[in-house]
Amino acid sequence: MKKSSKALALLLVLCFLIAGCGGQKDANAPATASATEAPKATDVPQVSEELKEELNALTSDVIDPDLTCTITLGNWPADTAPAAELAVFEGYKATMAKQYPNVTLVPDYYSYTLSNYVPMAKGGTAPSIFQPPFTDPQLLIGQGLVGDVTDALAACGALEKFSPSYVEMLADKNGRIYGLPRDGYVLGMHINIALFREAGLVDEEGLPIYPKTLQELAEYGQIIKEKTGKAGLVFPASETYGGWLFTNIAWNFGCVGENALEYQDEDGRWVCNFTSPQAIAAMEYIRDLKWKYDILNADATTTDWAGSHSSLGTGEAAMNFAADDSVDQPTANKGLPLEDFALIPFPAGPEGRYALAGGTCYMFAPNITADQATALMAYLRILGKLPFLDEDIIAGMRSDYAAKRDRGAPVLPAISAWNDEEYNNAKRAIIDEFCNVDMRLYNDFFDSISEGTISLRAEEPAFAQQLYRELTAVIQRMITREGADVVKALTQAQESFQEYLDDEINNN
Amino acid sequence: MNRRRRVAIAGGKRNESFKSWLIMLPRLLLFAFFVWEPLLESVRMSLYKTENVELVKFIGLKNFISVMGKANFSQALVNTFAYTFWSLLIGFLLPIVLAMIIGETVRGKGFFRTAAYLPNMLPGLAVIILWSAFFSGEKSGVLNILLSKLGTPAQTYLTRANLVIPIIITIATWKGAGATALIYMAAMAGVNPELYEAATIDGASVWQRVRHILLPSIRKLAGTLLILQIISVFQIMYEPMVLTKGGPDNASLSLMQLMWQYAFGGSMDYGKASAVAVIVTAILLLMTVVYSYFNNKESDWD
Repeated sequence: MKKSSKALALLLVLCFLIAGCGGQKDANAPATASATEAPKATDVPQVSEELKEELNALTSDVIDPDLTCTITLGNWPADTAPAAELAVFEGYKATMAKQYPNVTLVPDYYSYTLSNYVPMAKGGTAPSIFQPPFTDPQLLIGQGLVGDVTDALAACGALEKFSPSYVEMLADKNGRIYGLPRDGYVLGMHINIALFREAGLVDEEGLPIYPKTLQELAEYGQIIKEKTGKAGLVFPASETYGGWLFTNIAWNFGCVGENALEYQDEDGRWVCNFTSPQAIAAMEYIRDLKWKYDILNADATTTDWAGSHSSLGTGEAAMNFAADDSVDQPTANKGLPLEDFALIPFPAGPEGRYALAGGTCYMFAPNITADQATALMAYLRILGKLPFLDEDIIAGMRSDYAAKRDRGAPVLPAISAWNDEEYNNAKRAIIDEFCNVDMRLYNDFFDSISEGTISLRAEEPAFAQQLYRELTAVIQRMITREGADVVKALTQAQESFQEYLDDEINNN
Repeated sequence: MNRRRRVAIAGGKRNESFKSWLIMLPRLLLFAFFVWEPLLESVRMSLYKTENVELVKFIGLKNFISVMGKANFSQALVNTFAYTFWSLLIGFLLPIVLAMIIGETVRGKGFFRTAAYLPNMLPGLAVIILWSAFFSGEKSGVLNILLSKLGTPAQTYLTRANLVIPIIITIATWKGAGATALIYMAAMAGVNPELYEAATIDGASVWQRVRHILLPSIRKLAGTLLILQIISVFQIMYEPMVLTKGGPDNASLSLMQLMWQYAFGGSMDYGKASAVAVIVTAILLLMTVVYSYFNNKESDWD
């Protein structure tokens, strides 16, 4: 009995070891029941009739019966996602199955973070397509952690329509493309109109009298704080968020060109420049927001991106530096009525009016095959993420906007990453059809971009996240210590970041 | 004993030894695979320039020199010792006191035991989120609401550099003290009741009984738990990461959080992250050795 028990125990251990040492999952293997299993059709809740019609339109003839491969689709909505959103993705899947019958789609709930992606990419288990923010592509491309889709993109005719500014962000030095823009965004400011109203900052039509300059922001914030007791401005100054927002403020104080926060000198060496008079003035402005005007939220140093949206949405703060791609956060997610929400341009500074342009992109696993790249382009085309127009794509866009409207998120014009007028106009026409907001609360924002009254800038080019972290620490010191020395703090941060640049680029 | 018999015994011992090793083999393999190999790999990685998880070039101690030369390392090191100090101050005696009080409780002992342990059953992140609402600096913060009833204006807590570490340790203690108290209670239950009776008959006060009977009985356990507590607190990470994100101005940044920042905070520098991990391990090893030395010396005196 004892012997048989021992043998059984050893056998069990052996089984565990063999199971643990199992090989990598075959990328082309059929989908199995797992965490990545697609939501069952029966699980999809009921959707509106209008949306059903849109989904029914998502049918078309076979395009390529010979294309045979399996692609895993990151960012598939979870079972708990709104019914309309789930239905839209099921529609995409159905269309893909019809147009490319031998392409197997494996939905994957994977949500990208740098830390979870790297081991997956190295281990060959990264989803075929995933969605990193625009801060990461160059890092991933440089380390060979993403797949090249240049040829597939050229084959489908989208390569030439790519906006050059996005090519710069998503290509390597040789011009090979590794990603596609999902959504572009431009930083502006979210407004809680209810608090503006309470503070008397509305005109006779009830539209908010909003700050057009950073100075006005401080003054209006002060009025709001005095009259409502709520924070004039919620400023997420934790981790890297504070530094991220600060760069935009600094540009408006003149930290561009030769006064940029970081630049390459004639020898190609990266130089950190946090102590220019412009950067010092910008940091003094942040300090004043706390100690002179007292308009910031109480826990700024622990507030993150989600927290800032929550503060605005729940009426704890009147203004928030945020972009057009997150308008659903304070509204649909936090319950701020659409009529109490506005999106305004980033306030101008004494030396200019700039706004950060960035976004989220699609990138691809490093081990994708040519067939997989072709299938992924086809999938993105169905999603309406390539600059092409056909009935399916238009139906897909309409479904998308209908879903957005159904869940109470503002349906707004999108900032296009494609240089294709026909495509952009058609998209605008569809959006207008589903628009559920008073565009007077948004027009100034979009007009400032289209009319060029605000200059768009990409994020700081070298090691942006580290730069933001250094600047966030300075901001935290400024808003938690009344007598903090701006120059000293910026000098320390500059030394630290310069050392980082030397380690990572200059001395290599 | 003749030669044949000696050979037979030796053979039997060898056979038994072989069987013992065979039984231990799966455990050793698992241990080597899941513990030793990653540990040694981390040390190796700390000596290399890395490109994500790949070792690119042997650079000796450069990662250590670079990491230790930065201001945030010295700040994180000081903070980590501050965490340990506050943890010992707030969290070491509390479970002992708690165990003594619950041990002396006559009615509802089971209830108090469960109540003390309950916070330990809550998910760590939920606890942090719960307490972040308590210590929120907004007027809607629970503590500020309580203070407003006393006529005190709203205060900020988590944005004050001198308060964040004691607050984080208070939260960690709230969560963990009950579990430690249960261990002490088990040890206290093992004390011979005749000793108490004899002391009581001899006229010993409560304090004298605690001092001369109870505390000596749990001293060894307390020593072990002390070193475990130091090791645990030295690796504090998710509490500051969630509650304060290491702020304000790195005032609550711990060494483990710094390690995380190197690895996943945007730069993907696993070499430097491993260097920080090795430094933490070295400090903990040193502290454990010192503790063991004094502990053994004390045992010798006993």
